[in-house]
Amino acid sequence: MDTLALIDTTHPLYSNFDALGVPNTKTEQYKNFPIKPILAREYSYNTESNLTPNAGTNLVMHNGMLLEYPEEIDIKFNEEFHTDKEHFDSLYFMSHMLSTTVITLKVHKDCSFEIQHTLCEQDSLTAYRIALEVDENIHVEVFESFQTDKSSQAFTLYGLDVHVSNNSTLRWIRNENRADKETEVVGSHKFNVAKQATLVLHSFDFGSASSLHLYKIDLAQYASCNASHLLLSDKDARRGNVVHINHNEAHAKSTQEARSILKDNATGIFDAKILVAHDAKYASASQNSKAILLDEHAHMYAKPQLEIYTDELEASHGSTIGTLDEDALFYLLSRGISMQESRKMLVSAFANTLIDNIPNQEYATKIHKEFENSL
Amino acid sequence: MIDIKNIHVDIGEKSILKGVDLSLEKGKVHVLMGTNGSGKSTLTKAIVGHYDTTVTKGEIFYNNKNIVELSPEQRALEGIFLSFQNPIEIAGVNNAYFLRTALNAKERFDGKKETNAASFLRLMKKHVSQLGMHQDMLIRSLNDGFSGGEKKRNEILQMEVLQPDLILLDEIDSGLDIDALKAVADGINRMRDGERTFLIITHYRRILDYVTPDYVHILQDGQIVKSGGFELVDILESQGYQAIQKDI
Repeated sequence: MDTLALIDTTHPLYSNFDALGVPNTKTEQYKNFPIKPILAREYSYNTESNLTPNAGTNLVMHNGMLLEYPEEIDIKFNEEFHTDKEHFDSLYFMSHMLSTTVITLKVHKDCSFEIQHTLCEQDSLTAYRIALEVDENIHVEVFESFQTDKSSQAFTLYGLDVHVSNNSTLRWIRNENRADKETEVVGSHKFNVAKQATLVLHSFDFGSASSLHLYKIDLAQYASCNASHLLLSDKDARRGNVVHINHNEAHAKSTQEARSILKDNATGIFDAKILVAHDAKYASASQNSKAILLDEHAHMYAKPQLEIYTDELEASHGSTIGTLDEDALFYLLSRGISMQESRKMLVSAFANTLIDNIPNQEYATKIHKEFENSL
Repeated sequence: MIDIKNIHVDIGEKSILKGVDLSLEKGKVHVLMGTNGSGKSTLTKAIVGHYDTTVTKGEIFYNNKNIVELSPEQRALEGIFLSFQNPIEIAGVNNAYFLRTALNAKERFDGKKETNAASFLRLMKKHVSQLGMHQDMLIRSLNDGFSGGEKKRNEILQMEVLQPDLILLDEIDSGLDIDALKAVADGINRMRDGERTFLIITHYRRILDYVTPDYVHILQDGQIVKSGGFELVDILESQGYQAIQKDI
């Protein structure tokens, strides 16, 4: 049956979903991502779950089933976790309603761990959510990666509900390097960043698979969010991020930097809105999107937006879309470097800024390598 | 070494070079002078195959081969090097990585063994030290945030590493202080071995106090109007371009 037929209309979140409606091509965040045919496709509904995972070092999800969890972290299943009733995305509510597994992680000390998603289903719908609560005054790093294997006509609807408590820092690195055809991933997420807490969000989307991540990030007083998004897509991929950052209280700070490289017929999406509420005085907000189109039919949809309801703030936004810099390309060619190598060097240079921002060298090296292989 | 025969070059819709004839003798230092807009930079761009230029007529023979149809990278591999008037800044491309990539490309083209990382590092240290550059310029991005002098020294560094046969220096002396000018001139003189050919474009004689030219050519309104020796520089310095009469 199709996805919509699976929804329980008596679910407590149904009214929130219904108020936003089923997304279609007119829905702002899905204008360039074909959600309607994905939802209309016939799937088998994957309801398998595993309540006896192994303790290990990482969180390993296999088709939505938890196989391993980091033993240093408190973990619970299907526990009530705060749901954001104000989320802008109806698929956020849909994923909550359809998720057979909700994993709740509670982190009480400084740590670093990985979340590994393996998707290898065919003609199936997999829905699950991960909730993470970071305790006060700690630093946490999460490296999230995706692996697909013989997956086709599959739809993974997952999401994160994250709370970063006062004075804590969460660095979240999402590395989604997927080239599989007809396997879509939609992640609809909520990050709540409490007083004087920091969220550092890095997203890396490489390959020809289609996926869309939608983030709602709420900032409290003196909270900050530094988000960077690197996209490298080819073939017929539609990839990108929809990010709403809300400055709800005074002195919050946010920066967003998106860099996209599109090849073949790929479409990149960067739809970002920073909202500064009336009481969120002394905010600092900046957005920047740069895209390079390497082929004639590549397309970038960039929409950086600021919605401001206070006078006392610093804010800026900008967007550029172009091809490789001809002067830079010629400079390299004039030293005998081949056209192919020169283009590769310039594309890497464009991307390196965002990869080099990852302090963990092991992860930075891994992403560098995957980026080079995807070029 | 290079024979430019009746070359006509357009940039966009504008005709810049209108029949340039110029022969650069192998192993000699040639100087090209001319008023602003006379076509000096366009000539060097046409020789290296810059995308701005369209050769509408004429031929450029380099080592007896017409190179007009060759790609810029092929011309570079054949041994033609242009030091840019305004070297481009490329953030994110490591200077040493760029140089080693270029050197290895040239070595492959010449059928030589590629220089390994350790040998390359030694080579770099030597050249960087000779040019009075900071060693950290190698780990910085290519020309990114470099001062004018640092950029020009970096052009000379590339020249010394790549060891080209035909060297075109487009206003290599502009914006340099005395120390930088001497360092750049020393680099040129180190490369001057009686085999390599130089074409130095300049507006002033001060670099020629350090690099003695064999020939001086004057370009005006897209044509070479006079060729001679160092005496032409003296005439220009004292009387200006009006004193130059076109050779018939």
